[in-house]
Order: sequence, then C-alpha cells, then structure tokens
Amino acid sequence: MQVNQILSVWKRERLGLMMVIASLAVITVIVGMLFVNQQKSEMENIRKQGISLAKLLSQMSFDQVVPPTGKQGAFAVLQHNQEQTSFSYLVVVDTSGRQIAEISSSGVIAPVIPVPSSPSEWLEEKTLSLPGDGKQVVEFHAPLFNDSKLAGHIRLGYFKPGLGFSSKQVPFLATLALPIFLLAPLFYFLIRREIRPLQKANSQLDELVRQGTLNKMEITATGELQEFMNHLNGFIGSAQDRIKQLESERSGFETTTKLLSYKRSRIDSVLQSMPDALMVLDESGAVSFANSRFNTLLKVSPGDILSKKPVEWCDNQDVVAFLSDCTRKSAHGFNRNVYEFSPRATPDKTVSVSSYPLFSPREPDQLLGTLVMFRDVTAEILAKQSSGAFIAHVAHELKSPLNVIAMYSETLQNDDGKDDAFRIEASNIIHDETERLTQLINNILSITKIEMGSISIERKRVKLRDLIQDTFDTNARNANAKDLAFEADIPREMSPVAADKDLLRIALNNLLTNAIKYSDPGGKVSLTAEEDENSIRISIRDNGIGIAPDEQKKIFEKFYRSERDDIQSRNGHGLGLSLAQEIIQLHGGTLTLNSTLGTGSEFVIDFRKETDLLKQAV
Amino acid sequence: MKHILIVDDEPHVIRILRMALEQSGYMVGEAANGRKALEYLDRLPPDLMITDIDMPQMDGKELCLEICRLYPDRQFSIFVLTARAEIEHRLWSRKISNLQFMEKPVSVRKLVAQLDNYFSRKNGDEEPSCQSAP
Repeated sequence: MQVNQILSVWKRERLGLMMVIASLAVITVIVGMLFVNQQKSEMENIRKQGISLAKLLSQMSFDQVVPPTGKQGAFAVLQHNQEQTSFSYLVVVDTSGRQIAEISSSGVIAPVIPVPSSPSEWLEEKTLSLPGDGKQVVEFHAPLFNDSKLAGHIRLGYFKPGLGFSSKQVPFLATLALPIFLLAPLFYFLIRREIRPLQKANSQLDELVRQGTLNKMEITATGELQEFMNHLNGFIGSAQDRIKQLESERSGFETTTKLLSYKRSRIDSVLQSMPDALMVLDESGAVSFANSRFNTLLKVSPGDILSKKPVEWCDNQDVVAFLSDCTRKSAHGFNRNVYEFSPRATPDKTVSVSSYPLFSPREPDQLLGTLVMFRDVTAEILAKQSSGAFIAHVAHELKSPLNVIAMYSETLQNDDGKDDAFRIEASNIIHDETERLTQLINNILSITKIEMGSISIERKRVKLRDLIQDTFDTNARNANAKDLAFEADIPREMSPVAADKDLLRIALNNLLTNAIKYSDPGGKVSLTAEEDENSIRISIRDNGIGIAPDEQKKIFEKFYRSERDDIQSRNGHGLGLSLAQEIIQLHGGTLTLNSTLGTGSEFVIDFRKETDLLKQAV
Repeated sequence: MKHILIVDDEPHVIRILRMALEQSGYMVGEAANGRKALEYLDRLPPDLMITDIDMPQMDGKELCLEICRLYPDRQFSIFVLTARAEIEHRLWSRKISNLQFMEKPVSVRKLVAQLDNYFSRKNGDEEPSCQSAP
C-alpha cells in the first residue's frame, strides 16, 4: 500500500522531485568544481612560493643561511615569518643529510629522507608523507653552497592542499545554493503552470474517450500551448463536422437502404402476387428468379429451380426446347414468343408460355436475360369456347323459328287451293314464331348487355304494385287461351321502389310465361305479392309439370332445356329463367325455386328493402 | 311410292314438310328425335331420311353415326337440315357417305324439287353406304 502511495506521489510530483534532485546535483557539481579549482590554485601558490623561496635561499651561502655561531641568519628570519597555514617545515641539512636547522609548524616533524646524490636532483619537488599523521607534504629541495662548494641542502615542506571544507566557504556556498534552491521551485511552478492545461487536456481527452464522444476542450492556456489547443480544438471541430457529415450521410444511406428495401419488398410482393408465374432466365438460360405461382401452376417450387436450366426441372421437352429457343432469340433481340401446353402435373390446365427479352433500362443495348411468363389460359380458352358455343346456340335458336316462318310463308305464297283452315293455322304459326323470335332476340340482347356490364339499371321510382298488376294482365290472355285459372293476390298498397321498370317487367313476364307454358289446360297459375317492414316477396306458382330435382339448378343456365318430351314439346329457348335470375340479382334480390315433379313449381322473388337499390325510393 | 322419314323436334316443321311431301306423292313418316327415329327405322326402313341436328335425347349427328353403326349396308340417303353452316359442324360426317346437308331456313319447294330430282336420278342405282368418302 505504501509502495503504491509512494509510486502515486512520485508519479504526481515526479517533476518537482526531479527538479530538486537536479538542483542538488547542480549544486554538488558546482561545489566540486570550485573545490578542485581552489585546490589547483592553492597548489600553484605553494609551488610558486616554495620554488621562489627555495631558490632565494639557495642563492645565499650556507653560512648566511645558517651562521656557524650565534649569529642571526636568514633561517632565523624565516623562522618568525613562516606563519602560513600551508607551511609545514623548513629544514637545512648538510651534505651527509644531517639536520642542521629546522623550523616547522606545531606538531610537525620533518621526515628524514636521503640527501640527493646527483646535482640533477638538487632542485626538486617531492610529495612526502609526514611521519605520525601521514599528511601529504610537497617538499622543495635546493642546494646550499659555501664558496661554490656544496655545503648542504634546503628542504622546504608545505602541506599539500586537500578537498577540505572550511567554515569560511559556508557563506559562499550558501550564496551559491540559495538561488539555485529558490529557482528550482520557481521553475517547478512555472513548468507546472505551463503544463497544467496539458494535464487538463489529457484528463478531458480521457473523459471523452471514456464517454466515446468528441467535444471541443474548454482549456485556457498561453503561448504555444494555447496555439496547440486552438489547433487541437480546430481539429476536433473539423472532426465533429466530418462526423456530423458522415452521420448525416449514414442517416441518408439508412433511409435510402430502407427505401430500397421497401421498394424491393414491394416489387417482390407485386411479383409474387402476380396471377401469372414469372421467371427470369439469365444469359446462360438458368433461372435467376421465379415467383411463387410456379407452386400452383406447374407444381414446381421456385426455390428448387433457381440457378437451374429448364432441362433440369421441366419434364416437357417441347417447353424445354421453347425456353432454349427464347434464350437464344433474346440474345438477338427478338421479341415475344408464345407457346401453349398442358403441364403433366396439371393436365386439365392449358398454360401459355411467352417470353420477352429483358434489356437494362439504363443501357438499352445491354441484355439482362429473358422474362418468361407462364399463364393459365384454361379459363380464357373455355370462355372462348363458351362464347363460340353461345353464338352457335343463338344462331341455331334464331334459325329455328326463322325456318318455320320461311316454310309456312313460302307455302302460303304458293297457295294452290289449300283450305282456309290451313291459311289460318299457317298465319297463327307465323305470328307465334315471330313473337317467339322477337322475345328471343330481346332476351338475348338483355342477357348479353347484363353480362357485358353495358346495361345500366335506370333506377326510377317504380310503383311496384302497378308493375306486377300490369304484367299479370298482359299474360292473362295467354292463360285464358289455355283455359288456366289465372289468379293474382296483390296488396292494395305497396311501397314504391327504386328499380329498373323495364328489366323487372321482363323478369316477371318470363316467370309468368314459363308458368303458363308448362301448365296443362285446366291448371292454375297464381301470383302473390307480399310486403312487410323489411322485405318484398313475389311468388309465381303453378300446378304444372314441375321440375326434376337434378334439373332445378340447371334450368337457370343459359340455353338449358330439359330433354323431357313434355318440355320439348313446348316452345322455348332456355334463356327466360337465366335472364330473370340475372335481372333480380342485379336489383340485389334472389330468385329461388320450389318444385316437385308432376305437382308444380313455385318461383319466389325476394327483395330486401335495405338494399341500396330499393330503399332510396321507399 | 317413295317413303320418307322426317326427324325433327319442331312439330310445325314436320307438319309443313309432311303436307308438301304428301302432296308430291311421298309417303311420310315422322319422329321427334333421334331415339324415336331409330325405333322407326327398326320397324320400317325408309327410302330417304330428313333429319334436324339439334334435338333432345339424341341429336341428328348421333342418329347418323348410330345408323352407320347399326346399318352398315344402309340403302337410304340422309338429308341433314342444319342451322349451322360452318364446316367444323360438318366434319363428323366425313366418313358417312350418301349424306348431304341442307342449310336452314329451308325452302319447302326447293326441298321437294331436290328430292324429286334425287329419286329420278337414282333410278334404282343403289350407292354403297358407310364407306370412307374419298
């Protein structure tokens, strides 16, 4: 723990501590250099002094330096003046080395050394150690002469200057150390002040990195650091702008991607919802797209045929050949080929295959493949067939009465004595057939218009009671001619309705005509109308030949006529009931049949008053 | 006296043809549809048969094919009255010989004249029937 604390303090204050250490090192170096310089200087002084003094004494005679008898010589003078701190000793020895005279600092005993033997050693400097304390002494030799004869030697010793510390140096050192110690905190403070913004910036950057955001830094600094901060903030500003731009672009890309994805899914949905099976063959003839309609139309899964050529999934060799041909023709820019076939999986269907070359919308010359469309044309073919059958039926139905009319009129023209009875019969037949023809044509026109949707209901306020009564009265003649009991039960008051009067009349007329036609003489046809709050019901009942259960649905089909003899013997073209039903359905009503073979039939028309068509007038 | 069978579901047609043919000296039989015609043929083969196409129960086409099957050595001719002039409604008759079509509406006078002409030309020279037409 303590180590950590020390480390953290060191980390935090390392700069200050390093400055203290550095200043101490500087002081130490300076002091060391000073001592070395001082030592050198003292040594030089000693050397100058020693050499000059030794030479000076050497120029004197031995006797002048050390008078033989009681006289004061130079030596005695020197003895009083050698008070220097560095002075160690001055010894005069004779040629044999015997000490003649000596002056020394207190406590110093001059060491005994051999006398220099050769003249080259007479003037010499030596470093010796004092006996006892072993202090180092620099000794200067000089010869002494008497009458040009060597009489002895002078040995002058000085303490060799050391690195000692004297109290005299304290003020100097203090003067030297003080400014350094004072300057160190100052520098430290200045540096701290200078680097504080840097530290702040560092911590803010740390924070930004932690938060994962990029903001400008609120840091006040001076000089180059301020300039640096300005540049850094400028850089951050540019980075922020770039990031914003990138985010905006990214948002744009995301929107575009979503839009594209939406459009793609919409197109995909459209393609999948197409009533036809669509596929795209690439240039090699392999399937690159197929919609889900292949499941139902060819019993082939779109996933199973992707990337496969038709020969791998199609069992109809003609279709394979056709598709190969399409791919080849597409490459040459040919348009639209069509082929029809019945798939093996759904043999009751007729499928038409058509192909179109797919060109790039941007580069019209670039072929992207071939679009192949499989369409179920079974219904179209049936419709064509039924349309053809309808026309054939109509032609036949028209020609039959025309044939009768032509035969009878031709016979009347060539009347060669036929009796009156025949003429009356012939004219009646011609009249009946003409009426039949007229009614047939009217019915065909009405039914065709209704089926083509070209007939528009002319909704007018219709007095339903009057319409029913009128239609009933019109048919009364035919009923009477057939000796039928023809009855109507119509309420005195009936609500008016919004309906097409002419169409409703046709429907009612067809039902009444049928009831009369299929009733035997002496029978009964009755019409009943009822109305309550919500509905109107019109029933037409007869006690005629009735309709077999298996034919009760078929009689509403166009041109259906029962093959029963008792029906075939009566004129009819099989359109009346079909038309009546269409008209009633067009008015939002229903036409139902209750019939028992041999007992009679009842046709019931039901209208609900809330039906838009009817209620407006109610 | 030549014997002619008229097959038609339209009573007025039978009536007028019967009148005209009887006046021209033919003996006339009638049937209201193909089935009844077969019954008639079984009893009394005619010298010529005039038939409509669209009839209930058994139409003219079925009747002719059935006659071909039942009477491979048929001696009498067949006149088919049809409201359908298109060739595709006549293709079924390709393999039936001694059969001709007359388009509705039919002129009674022309029909009688054609029959007279047919019988006078025939002169007892019976044609083979129910063989592949060339």
